[in-house]
Amino acid sequence: MSAIVCSHVDKSYGATSVIRDLNLSIEEHEFVVFLGPSGCGKSTLLRMLAGLEDISGGEISIGGTVVNDLDPGDRGVAMVFQNYALYPHMTIFDNIAFGLKRQNVPKAEIRQRVGAVSTTLGLDPYLDRKPAELSGGQQQRVAIARAMIKTPKVFLFDEPLSNLDAKLRNHMRVEIARLHQSLNTTTVYVTHDQLEAMTLADRIVLLRDGRIEQIGSPAEIYERPGNLFVAGFIGTPNMNFIDVTIGRDGDAWTLTNAGTVFTISGERFRLQQGERAVLGIRPPDLVAASPGASGNLLEGTADLIEFHGNDALVTFCLGGKEISALVPSRACPAIRADVRYGFDESSLHLFDAQSGMSLRRQ
Amino acid sequence: MRRPRTGVGRLLGKAVLAFAGFMAVFPLLWTALNSLKNNVDIITRVPRVVFTPTLANISYILGRDSVLTGLYNSVVACGVAVLVGVVLGLPAAYAVARYPNRWAGDIQFFVLSLRFLPPVAVAIPLMVIWLQVGLYDTLAALIVTYSLLTISVIMWLAIPAFQAVPKEVEEAAFVDGYGAYSVFWRIALPVAARSLAGAVAFSFVLVWNEFLIALMLSSSNAKTLPIVASELSQQGMNVPWGILNASVVLLSLPPLLFLGVLSGFLNSVFRQKKT
Repeated sequence: MSAIVCSHVDKSYGATSVIRDLNLSIEEHEFVVFLGPSGCGKSTLLRMLAGLEDISGGEISIGGTVVNDLDPGDRGVAMVFQNYALYPHMTIFDNIAFGLKRQNVPKAEIRQRVGAVSTTLGLDPYLDRKPAELSGGQQQRVAIARAMIKTPKVFLFDEPLSNLDAKLRNHMRVEIARLHQSLNTTTVYVTHDQLEAMTLADRIVLLRDGRIEQIGSPAEIYERPGNLFVAGFIGTPNMNFIDVTIGRDGDAWTLTNAGTVFTISGERFRLQQGERAVLGIRPPDLVAASPGASGNLLEGTADLIEFHGNDALVTFCLGGKEISALVPSRACPAIRADVRYGFDESSLHLFDAQSGMSLRRQ
Repeated sequence: MRRPRTGVGRLLGKAVLAFAGFMAVFPLLWTALNSLKNNVDIITRVPRVVFTPTLANISYILGRDSVLTGLYNSVVACGVAVLVGVVLGLPAAYAVARYPNRWAGDIQFFVLSLRFLPPVAVAIPLMVIWLQVGLYDTLAALIVTYSLLTISVIMWLAIPAFQAVPKEVEEAAFVDGYGAYSVFWRIALPVAARSLAGAVAFSFVLVWNEFLIALMLSSSNAKTLPIVASELSQQGMNVPWGILNASVVLLSLPPLLFLGVLSGFLNSVFRQKKT
């Protein structure tokens, strides 16, 4: 049985539509990440699951119950907020116990359950303190403890790590992943950080302008982006795009951009002669061509080199467009050197120039 | 940029602060001293700091029925009005802050507009109304009138205080299973308590010191302390300075006590636990 089902869900504020006819089903024990640029409606969708926003149309059910008109407290969800949202006037103990008190859980049991949760999250020394006396990471841990203690059907995380510094963020990300492994509660996690999405998610729901662009496992979304937006949004450094015209050359297909012609077998794609398309290739998929190689080469003069540590990002111009290649630092060319990069056809992506949809055969 | 502080600058800053403090505190101290002096010690060319203190002024003040009645009227009228202001004003402010509708802006403006009219403009119609109703010169009329003031002041100051409570904190309580009323009681009120207490104290001081409306609405029975105190100076040519000062001291004690109790309460609530 699916833990969460959204069918034809709409959300609008007056005339402004935020979520449009959204359909999604989330399986039990699944870790689903809503990913998208700011303003794509991902947080709104999460808040609709939590019951903090009304649903303008459609139906949301959690654990088989339609929750459209249920109060947040009756939905069996627990939420972790971006700014922690701890109760500033209560001790950490009371913060964690507040939800249980509402459920009239006996005092002894509250003490025992808070103890168990605080031990798991390493909060034992802080139970008597107020939230303001804790660091950001500790506060976030309290927020997670407050969510955990209710043993909810669904965990909702609203950009929980974006207020933490980079190092702590990595640490907490690992902690959340561990927590999910041990608790195995259905989790919906909102973020705009693709690294978080890639590392945590069982499935990523990529949203733009209130619509789902693609749903899939991180590998699927990275390797088989369904359209230009997904291809451009996922992956750092960003995918290179080159406008091409499709042509035919005997058995092979040609992709022509100004002076450059790429010849491919095109088996993986649905191609039509004369069609305009966008060729996509990820910077790490570009490899330095051997001096004798010819055909399917991207050539130019390196005009910017960014050192990343193990790798370096080489940027050059091809037909007026910037192309980047991620190469091992030790094989990094000098600035203003002539560079030649080849690619394997299997790493190629092709999109329809008009609709932006992938031309890959399903 | 933080500029390094020179010794001279710091000294000058402290001097300015000390001067400002002196300006604020000295008149109060002098009034308190004068309340303990005989009239001859007050009306001297050279101000006297050393004198034989007397309690005559204070005992005279406390011995007069009019003063005690005034004190009683003031305490009851202001106390009840502040209570009404708290009971009605705080929930109203919370509703405007958290559940704004299209009238919210107008409500806030209307509440503020009660404060920009000159008090006389309000006092005369009010006097007519209370005369018609037959409640002129009663505590009830004063309480209702003062409640208008306390509700408006408390609302005006409490709306931003409630808005400053992070919305997510209240939402977290909703997710924890609490309803709107519990969230108001258990989250919004305690989190905003510090600013709310300031609003309540301010409204108390405002009605306690109120003079003109009290003057218009009372003739004998419902006179408040400021009216009674002002009447003490109208006893012929010889102004009884000592008595006047003593009445001022009496007048300023309740607000000071009120603020003292309030700030003590706040300190105890917000004292950080030392571990």
